[in-house]
Amino acid sequence: MTDKTYMCILRSGTGGCEKPSPSEMELQYAKYQAWQQKFTNNILDMGNKLGAAGSVVRHDSVNDGPFIELKEIIGGYMMLTAATLDEAIAVIQASPMVANEGTSIEIREVCTR
Amino acid sequence: MNQQAKVEHLFRHEYGKIVALLLRRLGLQHLDAIEDAVQWSMAQALEVWCRESTPHSPSAWLYQVAHNHLHSQLRATQRQNVLLTEHLYTAQDETFEHEEASFAGEMSDAMLRMLFIACNDAMPVESQLVFTLKSLCGFSIKEIALRLFISQANVYKRFGRAKQQLKNQTLELDMLTDDEMLCRMPSVHRVLYLLFTEGYLSSHTDNAIRQDLCEEAIRLTKSLANSRFGNVPNSYALLALMYFHLARINTRQDELGALLLLEQQDRSLWNKQHITVAMAYLAQSADGHTISRYHVEAGIAAEHCLSPSFEQTPWQKVVSSYELLHSIAPSPLHYLNHAIAVAQWKNPEAGLAVLKSIDGPDWLYRSFHWYAVQSDLLFRSGDTVNGREYATLAIEAAPTDSIKQLLHKRLIGR
Repeated sequence: MTDKTYMCILRSGTGGCEKPSPSEMELQYAKYQAWQQKFTNNILDMGNKLGAAGSVVRHDSVNDGPFIELKEIIGGYMMLTAATLDEAIAVIQASPMVANEGTSIEIREVCTR
Repeated sequence: MNQQAKVEHLFRHEYGKIVALLLRRLGLQHLDAIEDAVQWSMAQALEVWCRESTPHSPSAWLYQVAHNHLHSQLRATQRQNVLLTEHLYTAQDETFEHEEASFAGEMSDAMLRMLFIACNDAMPVESQLVFTLKSLCGFSIKEIALRLFISQANVYKRFGRAKQQLKNQTLELDMLTDDEMLCRMPSVHRVLYLLFTEGYLSSHTDNAIRQDLCEEAIRLTKSLANSRFGNVPNSYALLALMYFHLARINTRQDELGALLLLEQQDRSLWNKQHITVAMAYLAQSADGHTISRYHVEAGIAAEHCLSPSFEQTPWQKVVSSYELLHSIAPSPLHYLNHAIAVAQWKNPEAGLAVLKSIDGPDWLYRSFHWYAVQSDLLFRSGDTVNGREYATLAIEAAPTDSIKQLLHKRLIGR
């Protein structure tokens, strides 16, 4: 079975949270590194962060963001490869990203055919 | 795995150095902005390093990002301050021309100078300690409260007092002369000692939390001892004392977290490597004409660490060390240790006689230490009635549950 490509879209809550301390951040970093090492074959691209400002263009209008009507803002994306959606879910579930309360990650297959 | 080991405590350890270097270049009045900028650079690192990779020199990366952030922040708020902007530009040019080794050297030099600035006797020692933990060790207010067993509000208060004091003084990092550094050396040693004992004596059930204050203290004391101005016998005596204690730290509690007395500790679990390191530092500390409380305390700790069993401890030596300690650094608590050692060396009655001869302050006679030692020696001399009475008082006065349990087991459950 050939592996499929998945795009993972990161959403995080807009609520202001307390600034993490250096020790919390180094712990977080260590978790990321461990996760990346474990799933090195699944992670195609760690993607990028998306800027907070933006616009929505429709046929009749252009609306500037940020999109305050939404409770969650898309903060970034990354690319995975996995045989099945279930495998991709398992990779994301093991990641330190889901440990943050208020973060959700949407996983969508990138259809190339 | 190697990569991971490399970044262990990277953020926290770099924090103090970068803060200190920026303070040195920009001045103490920018403390708040500098701390924010370093925090910001670390948040950036978390994002960028995860996507790309850990940079070749993480500290230069963090410094640069913090520096640029600070630049834009300060420029926005202080456009009129031309001098400051000039400062920032020269600082930026310098960094990139620096060899990595000399950059690291400059950072630890700045950190040590910061420590000397913070150890200013014009502010209470509690504030010196909190400032050191926050700005040099990179602990958050919450983490400090957890480690010192005080409320977060109290940590804020102490930190605020330290900041106020530092901002009011006109002294900058590079203005401390060698003589002034020498004058402040005892205060620096005292804060490092306090940092260590806060961790060592803590009854925190989480081993890692107890140990990391000790490790911080050792890290700072080592860089002090390695520096041009801190390379003095007392620094080595302090390191020896810390390593002797560290060798025993994991045997002070049983698997349920209950405190264990020296005689109950499993000596085979004491860390031999740490004891060897401590002995080497102790030898190095003998290179001088003065003897400090750290020398004597390290000497006492060495007797315990080197003795094959509790019974074989050379109590007579311990007794004379406590006498010496008391003449160098009088403290009522040394009397109690002295009395315990005398009781071991001779008999419980001799220990009780020492207690009787003490002319201590009022608080001593209301402390659980006093009650507990009284009770223990009375029981051992056969006076169970008075022994039990003091035991009750000791348990009532004990500050934490684990100490209460320990006293109960030792005094009532005998």
